[in-house]
Amino acid sequence: MHDPPAIAIHSVRKAFSSLVAVDDVSFAVEPGEIFGLLGPNGAGKTTLLRLIMDIFRPDAGSVEIMGRRPSDEDKNHIGYLPEERGLYTRQRVLPLVEYFARLKGLSERQARVNALGWLEKMEMISVKDRKIQELSKGNQQKIQFIATVVSEPQILILDEPFTGLDPVNARSLITVIRELSATGKTIVLSTHQMSLVESLCRRVFMIHKGKQVLYGDLEQIRREYSDHAVLVRSEADYNLCPWVVKFASDGRGKKIFLKNGAAPRDLLAWLLETGAEVESFERAITPLEDIFIKLVEGKH
Amino acid sequence: MKKIWVIARREFLVTVTRKAYILTVLGMPVLFGGIFALSFLTRGTMEKAFGASEPIAVIDRAGLLDFTLLQKIPKETQKEKDADLFKEPSVRKASSMIPYQDLDQALEEVKAGRLSSVFLIERDYLATGRIVAYSPEKGMFSDLAPPDRGRLFDLIRISLIKDQVDSQTRDRILSPGNLLQKKVTKQGQVQSAGDPLQKAGKFFGPFSMFLLLTISIFLSSGYLLQGIAEEKQNRVIEVILSSVRPTQLLLGKILGLGAAGLLQVVLYVGLLFVPAVTVFALFKVSLTSLLFSLVYYVLGYLLFAGLMAGTGILGNSPQESGQLSALWTLTSMIPMFMLAPISEAPDSWLARGLSYFPLTAPVTMLLRLSTSQVPVIDVMISIVLLVVGIYFSIKGAAKIFRAGSLMYGKRPSIPEIWRWLKEA
Repeated sequence: MHDPPAIAIHSVRKAFSSLVAVDDVSFAVEPGEIFGLLGPNGAGKTTLLRLIMDIFRPDAGSVEIMGRRPSDEDKNHIGYLPEERGLYTRQRVLPLVEYFARLKGLSERQARVNALGWLEKMEMISVKDRKIQELSKGNQQKIQFIATVVSEPQILILDEPFTGLDPVNARSLITVIRELSATGKTIVLSTHQMSLVESLCRRVFMIHKGKQVLYGDLEQIRREYSDHAVLVRSEADYNLCPWVVKFASDGRGKKIFLKNGAAPRDLLAWLLETGAEVESFERAITPLEDIFIKLVEGKH
Repeated sequence: MKKIWVIARREFLVTVTRKAYILTVLGMPVLFGGIFALSFLTRGTMEKAFGASEPIAVIDRAGLLDFTLLQKIPKETQKEKDADLFKEPSVRKASSMIPYQDLDQALEEVKAGRLSSVFLIERDYLATGRIVAYSPEKGMFSDLAPPDRGRLFDLIRISLIKDQVDSQTRDRILSPGNLLQKKVTKQGQVQSAGDPLQKAGKFFGPFSMFLLLTISIFLSSGYLLQGIAEEKQNRVIEVILSSVRPTQLLLGKILGLGAAGLLQVVLYVGLLFVPAVTVFALFKVSLTSLLFSLVYYVLGYLLFAGLMAGTGILGNSPQESGQLSALWTLTSMIPMFMLAPISEAPDSWLARGLSYFPLTAPVTMLLRLSTSQVPVIDVMISIVLLVVGIYFSIKGAAKIFRAGSLMYGKRPSIPEIWRWLKEA
C-alpha cells in the first residue's frame, strides 16, 4: 500500500488583516525526500512553514501530516529550524540542547545522550559548557541545527539552514542532511541558495506573492524552462551548419540555438563530419537561479 | 503535562539563578533596612518640624488662664489617645507651656528656635473666641495649626469653670468617657469587641497577606513580562511553539515564574518579617482568615499572571508591555481606594459587587474577611467567578500568544485582538 505524503497542503489560504500571505496553495512532500521550498523575500514561505508546524491555523484548506490533521503528538516528530536564530543567548550549550530535546518529549536521560551525541557529531562538544552568546554566528547556527535534530524527528523543516556558515561548515552540514535523508527522514529545505537546492532536492515548490508559481520535478522544470540549445566548446564555423538558428558566446563556449525539429545529436553529427575539434558538448539547461529570477521579475 | 513541567522547571531555575534576581532578593532588605535606619535617625528632625520638642508660649491678654491647673490635664488628651494607634509616639509628645507677657520677646524666641509656637489670647476673647497662633516658617507644614492647641483649649475650659464645678466633674469634662465596645451580631447576640491587639490582628493578618499578594503580582508579572519580551525579541518563542501548544508554554511560564516570585516573597517574609509567625500569634489571626487569604492569594496570582502574560506579548518592548499591563494593576487596586466604605459596610452592594468581579475580588475579599463574617454564599460565588476568570484569562492569553508572539514591529489594534480571541 502506498504511504501517505509526509506533508500534504490542500488549497490552503492564510491572511493577516488585508494581506493574503498564502493563497490557494497545494503541494505534497513524499516521505524520505528532500523537498525544496523556494520564493523571494515576503513570498509567504515562512507562513507556509508555520502552517505546517501548526503554529498558524489556515483560514481555508487543510494541512496533513502523515495523512492526518496535525496533532500535539506530531509536534514531537517535526524538527523546525527557523530562518532567524532562536536561542537563549545567556544559557549554556548543553542544557539548552537538552531543553529543546525534552520539549520534544524525550526523557531526561535520552535528552542528555542525544545532545552529547549530536554535539560530538557536529564537532561542537568542546563548547558544551560555553554560553551561546560567547559563540560565533556560525557555531550558533550549528547549535540551532543540533537543537532541531536532537530529538531525531521524522520530518525536518529547515529554513535557511546555511546562514552564517563558512564553506567548510556548509559542506559538512550538506553531508549531514544527505545522511539524514538516507535514513528515511523527510526534509523540507527553504533557501535562497539555488545551487544547494539543485544539488540536494529532487522536487521543488516555488511561491510568489502567496501563490504557487512552480511545483514538481526539478530536472523536468529546468528542461521546460531551457532554450532549445546546446553549449559547445569548439572552433567550428556554425554559420555553415543547417541546424543552427543563431549562436552566441557563453562563458563556457558557445550557446548554439537549434532549429525546431533539429536534435542535439544532429549538431554533434555535423561537427564530427566537418572534422572540427570538440572539447565539450552539453545540453544548455537553464540554472534554477535563472528560472527563479525570470519568474520573480516576470511577476513584478 | 510533562512539557508544562519541563518549561516550569527551566523558567524557575533560570530565574532564581539570575544575578538580577539574587541582587533583588539581597538588595531589597538592605534598602528597607536603610529606609528604617534613615527614618530612625531623622526622628529628631520630625519632632522639630512638628514643633513638639520645644515649649510653647501663651500670652493671656484676657487674663483668664490659671496655669497651675496645667498639671491636672493629662499629657495626652483622650482624643489624641483614640487617634494614636497609627501615630509615631515621639511626634505626639506634648510640649511644655510657658506664660509670656511680651509678644515681641516671644516672637524673638520663636525666631531663635527656643519656642515652637506662640498663642496670643486676645483681650476680647470671651466675646470673640479669637486666639492668634504664631509658628515658624517650616516649608509645607507651615500652614498646619500648631499641634499643642488641644492642651491649651483644655486649659481654657477648666480655667473658665474652675470655680463652678467639683474636681470629678472637671475630670469628666476633660475626659468625657472610656468607651467599652460591644457588638450585636446578626443573630442578636451581644459580644465583646475584643481587645485592641485582636482587632489589629484581624486587620493586619489579611492585610499583610494582601501586601504579599500585591508584591507577588508585581514581581512575578515583572518576570513574566521580561521573559516573554526576551523570547519574542530573540525569536526563541517560534522554536518553542513548534514543540508545544501556546497554552502549555503559558502554563509552564506562569507556574515556573510564579514559583520564582513566591520564593522571593517567602524569602522577604523570612528576611524582612522574620517574626511573622510571632506577629500572627500575637495578633491572634484566625486560621480561617489565613486559609482564605491563601486561597485568594493563589487565585489572584493565577488570574493576574494570565492577564499579564497575554498583555505582555502585545508590546514591542518590556517597557511598552509594562505600560499596557498597568491597566490590570490599577484595576486590582480599586478596593484599596474604597478601603473606608468596604471596611465600614462589608456587606454593602459595593463590597459584594467588588467581591464578585474577578479583577477586584482577591483584594476586596481579603478586606471583607478582615472586618466581618462574610456569608459563605459570597465566598463561593466569588471563588467560582474567579476560577472562571482564571480560565478565560489563560485561554485568552494563549490565543493572543498564538497570534501575537510572531508579530513584530506593529502593535495589534483592538479589533485585531478581538478577532484573535474569537478564533478557535
